Order: sequence, then C-alpha cells, then structure tokens
Amino acid sequence: MTRFWIGAVAVIAAGLLLAMTDIIANSFWFFAAYVVLQYVVLATAWNIMGGYMGYVNFGSAGFFAIGAYTAIVMYNLIKAPLLVMIPLSGVVCGLMGLGMGYLTLRLRGVYFAIGTLALAVVLETLMVNWDYVGGATGAYVIRPREMEPFGDYVKFLTFVMLVLAVIAVAAARWVERAKFGRGLHAIRDDELAAECAGIPTLRLKLIATTLSGFLMGVAGAPFPLYVGFVEPVSAFNLAYAVNAIAMPMIGGTTMWAGPVIGALLLGTAQQIANVTISSELNLLIVGLVLVLFVTLAPEGIVGLVRKYFGRGR
Amino acid sequence: MLSLNRRGLLAGAAALGAAALIAGAPAKAAEPIKVGFSMALTGGLAGAGKSALIAMQIWEKDTNAAGGLLGRPVKLIYYDDQTNAATVPGIYTKLLDVDKVDLVVSGYGTNLIAPAMPIMMQRNLTFIALFGLAVNDKFNYDRYFQILPAGPKPITDWSRGFFELAMEQDPKPKTIALVGADAEFAKNAVKGARIHAKNYGLEIVYDGSYHPKTPDFTPIVRAIQARKPDVVYVGSYPPDSVGMVKAATEIGLKTKLFGGGMVGLQYATIMTALGPKLNGIVNYDFWVPEPTLNFEGVEAFLAKYQAAAKGKGVDPLGYYLPTYAHAYLEILGQAVKATNSLDHGKLAEHMRATTYDTVVGKVKFAPNGEWAKTRTLMVQYQDIKDNELDTFAKAGTRVVLYPKEWASGKIRYPYTEAK
Repeated sequence: MTRFWIGAVAVIAAGLLLAMTDIIANSFWFFAAYVVLQYVVLATAWNIMGGYMGYVNFGSAGFFAIGAYTAIVMYNLIKAPLLVMIPLSGVVCGLMGLGMGYLTLRLRGVYFAIGTLALAVVLETLMVNWDYVGGATGAYVIRPREMEPFGDYVKFLTFVMLVLAVIAVAAARWVERAKFGRGLHAIRDDELAAECAGIPTLRLKLIATTLSGFLMGVAGAPFPLYVGFVEPVSAFNLAYAVNAIAMPMIGGTTMWAGPVIGALLLGTAQQIANVTISSELNLLIVGLVLVLFVTLAPEGIVGLVRKYFGRGR
Repeated sequence: MLSLNRRGLLAGAAALGAAALIAGAPAKAAEPIKVGFSMALTGGLAGAGKSALIAMQIWEKDTNAAGGLLGRPVKLIYYDDQTNAATVPGIYTKLLDVDKVDLVVSGYGTNLIAPAMPIMMQRNLTFIALFGLAVNDKFNYDRYFQILPAGPKPITDWSRGFFELAMEQDPKPKTIALVGADAEFAKNAVKGARIHAKNYGLEIVYDGSYHPKTPDFTPIVRAIQARKPDVVYVGSYPPDSVGMVKAATEIGLKTKLFGGGMVGLQYATIMTALGPKLNGIVNYDFWVPEPTLNFEGVEAFLAKYQAAAKGKGVDPLGYYLPTYAHAYLEILGQAVKATNSLDHGKLAEHMRATTYDTVVGKVKFAPNGEWAKTRTLMVQYQDIKDNELDTFAKAGTRVVLYPKEWASGKIRYPYTEAK
C-alpha cells in the first residue's frame, strides 16, 4: 500500500469518525466543509482536461448543474436515494463530456473554451424551459432530517462528498501516472506532434473529457439535497466555473495535489469571507489571487514548492 | 525584560478568571436577544436587500430605545447571502451554531428563503419569511409565516384582483395575452393568471415567455399587439418591466387593461425614470401613500427610513419592501412580548392565533403561514405629469382599486384612454 492510499484511507476514516460522532458538535463546520470538498471534486475534474490535456473548459457550471438536475429527475421519478443519484448523474455528465470531446475534433484553444461556455448557456436555457425539473420556477428537494448512523443528514452529505473527493483525486493521480496521462501531456504540449508520434489523440481526449464530465456531474448530484431548492440561476452560477478554473491555477495544474491545495485554500478563504467580511468580496479575492498567481507563479503553489524546495512529487 | 514563571502564570490566570466571573454576572443579565438572518447585500437583489436592512435596523433601534424585549436589548446578526441560494444553508447554520442566535427570520425572496427551510424544520424553529411566494406549498411546515400579503393561495391570489377588476368592466374583455420572464416569480405570476383566464372564460390569444436578459421588448409587444388582446397580463422583473412599458408606449399598445405582475414599477427610481409612461397601467403593489392605507405608525417609520436611506443608493421612498421588512420584525417582537418567551413553539402558536398591528396594517396568518386573506393591491397609475420623486410620494398617483375595502379611487378604462 503506497503512502497515497494510506493517506486516503486515513482521511476517510477520520471523516467517518467526525461525521458519526459529536466530536464536532457544531454543524456549521460540516456545511462549510461540504462546500470546500465539492470544490475539491470540481477543481480536480477540471484539471484532468485543463491541466493535463490543455483544453480549457469554461462550462464547469453546466456539468455541475446537469449533475444536480439529473438528481432532481431521479428524485421526481422514484425518490431515488443519494447513492443512486450520484452514479447516474456521473454517467449523464460523462456522456455529455464525451459529446464535448467530439467538439475537440473541430475546436481547439480559445475556440474550444468559447464552445464550452456556449454549452453551459444552452444547457441553462434547456433547464429554464423544462418544467419537469422546476423550469425557471425552481425545484424543491426535501432532504431527510436524519441518516443513520450519522444523525444529521448534512453530516452524511459531507462524508459522501469527502469520499467523492478522495475518489476524484485518486482518479486524477491515476491519470497523471498512467501512460494515458503522458499521452494527455503530449497533447497539451503539441497536439499535432503527438498525433504524428502515434498517440491516439482523439481516443485519449474522449476518455479525458468523459472522466472530467463524470466527476463534475458527481460533484453536482448531492447539491439539491444540500440546498433544498434548485433553480437555474443558482445551479449554473458563475462561481462554479470561475472557482473550477481558479483553484487548479492557484494550486498548480501539473499534478493532482495542485487542485486539492487550491480548492482547500480558496474554498476555505471563501467560506470565511462569507461570514466575516460578508460580501461578494470573495469573488474579488479569487480574482486577485488568480491574477497574482498567473503573473508571479504560473505553475501555482506546487510549482513554487518545486522551485524553492526542489521537490513536489 | 518581562519574565514569567509558572507560579506567576497561575496567579495571573486565577486573577483573570475571577475578574471574568465578576464581570460576567451583569453581562449575562443584559445579554442581547439575537435575531439572525441572511440578506442580499450584493448580487442581483442587493438594492432591495439593503433597503430591507435599513428598515430592520430602524426596528432594532426603536425596540432598544423602548427597553428591548423581555428586558434585554435586541441585536440583529446578519450575513450577506450574495443573492446566491447556495450560501444560505451555511449562513443559517453559522447563525444558529456559532453565533447562537435566539430567533431567525429570512432573507429577501423565494430563492433565498427556500434553502433555509430544511434547517428550520430540522430544528423546529419559528421562521418568518420576507417576500416568498408559495414556499410552504412543498414543505407544509407549521412554524413558517410569511409577510408578503399574497393570501392563502399565493399563486392565484396574487393576480385575483387584476382579473376581478377586468371582469367588472363594461364591455367585458374576451381575450387576453399572457407574457412573462423565464424566472421564478414571473413564471408563478403568469401561471396564476393562466388559471384565472381559464376560469373566467377568457380566450388566451398570446401565451409567451422571454429570456430575463432580453434587451429589446419591441418585438414582443408587436407580437402581442398583432393578436389584439383585450387584456395584457405581464409577469416581469424590474429591467424587463421597464423595457415592456417603454415598448408599449413607443408602439402605442392598444388594449383595455395592461399590467398585472410587473415587479419594479413600485420602486421610486423606476417610477421617476418612466414618469407619465406609467399612466393607465394597472399593477400589483403592497403599500402606497393613499389615505385608505395610512396605518398607525407607517408615516413615522417612513420618515425615519427616508432619512436613513439618503445617500445610500437604495429606494428613497421605502414603500414597497421596507415597510414589510419592518412589519415582520414587529410581529416577531410582539409575539415575544405576548408570550414572554423565546420558545419557538409558543411563538408559532401565538402567530397562528393572533392578529398583529403593524405599519402595514393588521396581519393575520392562515394555517399555511400565508396571509389569511390577500391584500395584494391593484393600483392604477393616474395623473402623472412629470418625473419628480415628489409626484410619487403624494396620494392620487397610484390609486388603489382592489381590494375594495382599501380602494381610494376608480379605474380609468380602457388603457388606451387612461394613458
């Protein structure tokens, strides 16, 4: 068992212990942790495409929202439990990611980025006009009050999000180390050269976009149960797209730890800002930090660590 | 150089502890009653949220000046929800678990009330909401109360007055156009209007919606005009309400009754921007400076509000939302005083049974927490000749037509002549 897996098991065990006991009696910390962990999943998913493959996805909010709306469909249809909603949302968004992968046949660079942004707008318009999922009026999803053996349902939600975060990070780490990941790096550096070198670029891109979409959908699935009421404006909120990009950029896009560090730092800072300086300033914080990192440390925190300590892996 | 040994530290700690104990006793007695809420202070609803907050702070100040509640001062504790529903659950758990608030009320608007409901229900808290439309239809929570005077069936009560007025006219209208934004309130408003139209046997000749960020409403109004409806019912948000009124004026919309559920036409900034273009429109409202609505305390409250709002970039008149933001805290305060308790069960029981006197008049709740009887006003803009703020601060420019018990004038019909 490697150090990573020992750490992952330890994190899950610690999360389970905290969620099942009253060591942290204050449920605010669970609500806050849920949001931060949700961003760990989103940022990691974004980084598989944006960081490893070099295809910038501005439509993360669209994938996240479709994950949430798939959960709403499941809830409306059969009152599906969360553990059914999550894989289904992942599959739907994975298929959407596969579709987006085919976009890469014709769109690259900035054109691809604009295409993903347009995709989110199209999806939002579809949801606004689909009455079954609440349309523009919004949909209510009433979460159970309790979940045994966790007690408060939000503790259960937070624990589930922690497990999802660990799965997302493990997937990203696998991509990074596998031959598949090296193929993605080749695409990022020079797609034409990679193609000439015999790398099956389209297949790799399709797998990457599917995996990234799957993880973003998975991040969105528990959202209706967390918030209780979903309408397009909040589900497709710009903050998801901005954070999904900013967090890996700040943490570092070249390895799995980058998005995790970025999400933990920025997500926590935003949660603190929400209840202290109490304003939309948290997006300003993201913007400022992003500008600083892009100009002064383009390889993020991981890059800085490598530069000054000569290690990072 | 300062040096501390262990004995010194222990002595210091003991002294500090004793001081804290001595100081703590009187502090505990005067500990404020904390009222927690989220409010939209940035984002799309920030303008309205800030004006509501001013009204709530006036209540806080006045209550404390009058000796507080249960012999304790009151203190508002609030956080900016950024008009983002996703922030609301975290804010309310922070308020309840970290700030340990005693009482909770909602932020402004359906989208920001609904996410707080599961938390309220889980903890059995009494929750008074500020301008939510039909939130409790899904939750059926018996400790939920709502200050928007929509009535016990919010979806249809909202536009009831508009249709009752329409059907009283001679000749009776036969056709109707329904148009609304693809957004939460507008969809619900048009949904209610559609039900009324069918019940009254009106032929729906146009039933359309538009993107909330539509920049030009001329094509929409032209399409409506082409169907020649007798009545045009609009469910819209502030920017589109302005666009719709401007387009109707430019095109010269020919219809008998125009308006209904247009949000924004109640705001002083929009009224002064549109001025005479508003003449003839029949639209919902909640409070206007008409003699029939001069409830006790409202003038004094508005004087304080208008002084406090100066220079803050918020609604300078404060008729629409601030009056109700003050009223929902008045109800909370009256319930605490009457029950002599902060027990949420007792507070809810009192609220279910009591008629409250507030700056917006008497408030009585139905079993579902909505107003027992609708008081969604239908007002007609009349005799507006300029764009001055003072014009809208005096009686006679927004004449109350419905409900009849609050009527302050007569309808001018049809719209083509009234404008």
